[in-house]
Amino acid sequence: MLGAFGFGLVTAAILSVSAVGFTLQYSVSNVLNLAFVSIMTASGFVAYGLIVVGVTLWLAIALAALAGGLLSALINWGIYTPFIRRGTSTFGMVIVTISTALIGQNLIQAAVGPGFFSYGVVTGRAVNLGGLVLTADQVVTIGVAVAVMAATYLGLQYTKLGRAMRALSVNPSLARACGVDTGRVVAVAWLASGVMAGAGGALLFLDTATFSVTTGSYFLIVIIAAAVFGGVGSAKGAFLGAVILGVATEVAGAYWIPELKDVVAFAVLVLVLLVRPRGLFSEIATLRQAVG
Amino acid sequence: MNSAIQLYATTLLVYLAVNLIASWALDIQFGVTGVLNFGFILFQSAGAYAAALLSLGPAKASGGFQQYFGGWQLPFPLPLLGAVAVGAALGWLVGWVGLRRLRGDFQAVVLLVVSVVASLVVESLPGFLNGDAGLSLVPKPLLGLAGLTGVSYAWAFVGFCAVVCGLVAILVARLVHSPYGRVLRAVRENDALADAMGRSSSRARMEVFVLGGALAALSGALLVEFTTAWAPSGWLYPETFVYFTIVIIGGRASLPGVAVGAALIAVGIQQAVQLFPIGADATVLASLQWVVIGILTLGFLWWRPQGLIPERVRRFGPTPAGSATRGGEVQEGVGP
Repeated sequence: MLGAFGFGLVTAAILSVSAVGFTLQYSVSNVLNLAFVSIMTASGFVAYGLIVVGVTLWLAIALAALAGGLLSALINWGIYTPFIRRGTSTFGMVIVTISTALIGQNLIQAAVGPGFFSYGVVTGRAVNLGGLVLTADQVVTIGVAVAVMAATYLGLQYTKLGRAMRALSVNPSLARACGVDTGRVVAVAWLASGVMAGAGGALLFLDTATFSVTTGSYFLIVIIAAAVFGGVGSAKGAFLGAVILGVATEVAGAYWIPELKDVVAFAVLVLVLLVRPRGLFSEIATLRQAVG
Repeated sequence: MNSAIQLYATTLLVYLAVNLIASWALDIQFGVTGVLNFGFILFQSAGAYAAALLSLGPAKASGGFQQYFGGWQLPFPLPLLGAVAVGAALGWLVGWVGLRRLRGDFQAVVLLVVSVVASLVVESLPGFLNGDAGLSLVPKPLLGLAGLTGVSYAWAFVGFCAVVCGLVAILVARLVHSPYGRVLRAVRENDALADAMGRSSSRARMEVFVLGGALAALSGALLVEFTTAWAPSGWLYPETFVYFTIVIIGGRASLPGVAVGAALIAVGIQQAVQLFPIGADATVLASLQWVVIGILTLGFLWWRPQGLIPERVRRFGPTPAGSATRGGEVQEGVGP
């Protein structure tokens, strides 16, 4: 039980970084980016390449995050923004993002092949917290997640840019009218979201003993479940959703069929949709298009 | 013609018919009504599994070669009809959960997740639908009747598919051009307006979900009765995207356009890869095929969003300037 809880904490850490990154960018830019998982996968493989050449784990994760940020900003600049400028609706944009995801995913697959990879065994002392034993890489994972979450919270809450992001997610036209440079804020949101995707991807691959190109696709289930659980578009909700679902899926997986742990997240998603479609926190609610 | 070429030709024609039915089914949902069903492939798959279960007979009879629940051996048209019923029921169920008050784009992703989870479940539970390996040895309906075997049977099956395909075409065309079709297009263009005119947009979405699910299941059932096998690797979530590409390239809500799209993408591109000259290995080719499909979709959305054969928009009288928003982007429900 305690062991499953430990795994749950690690999953929650990875999931919170990913789900918050996904939600933050969605709420600010109003584009549902299905290529998010492709960015995670690409960054995870960047970290793999770096580790193979001998870069230390910490540095590899940081560089993977950086690569994710650049990739995300590049995709937004090169593909999404031109389509948005043309007046493509939010529905059209989902098709644009899934096309991008498909292209990205398969380019990676063509490059690395269908095989399985591993970051290798991470050396370091295991940590014992009153019976809860965490390996060194699990501690790294949780540490990175806590740092990213703290930085995100402080940034959103106390910086001018963070305030502008929150304003933009609640009411874009009002934010623009108040002098917020929306283009720049949206660009920063894409960068930040990509950084989180990159870190999340590297951590996911670190946590998954052996990973392949498709590892990220299944992670999409939990990311979406966490995002809807907390309330579509709410970063705080996505964080709480991630923590709850991360622990819930691992604990349930320990007692049930392990391959089906993601299905637990899906069951929660269905339950939320039936009982409370707006999620736990619905800051911008579900029908924002009426405002935007 | 030698029999190998004839078998190849019949296979292509059956694929074409199956893809036509499936593409029109998606077109009713996505092209006409504006519902983004990113879980579309699940319905085709449900139809295939249903038809397989209804014609395989009990699992024990195969000597434990494959495991699945239930298993009945029903005479010819019943497995197809059963598949249609399963598709419709699944459409209702998924629609009931998935079409709730979520914003349209998130709705699409939730449906995508539904299809990912479904394949995960089927793969992880070997006793359910034979897991990863999938169902095989599905008996071909009426094989040997009137001396039809081998190539002659294949041509008879092509004929049957053509008849079914024709019936579906008539059904879909009548539906789209009926007053009800206007309701569906109104839901796509402006659902609040449709609601205000007394036509429930959520009911219309639900109805096309059920109808599209039934037709998708029919296409899957036809396919499995011809190929005799169905496995999770054949309905991974990107497969849904092939049908979206078909509809976008052909022309949303344009039945002939979608037919052209189906011929080009489902048969053309898929076969072109097989004939690819360089000796690249199969997995790389498969990946590049997806890349081409993705780029084609983006290219069409950018340069020719109305598709190869655009929907004919009927107008009644002069339209006030500025309201003519059609002929371009996916326009539904942009709102004020």
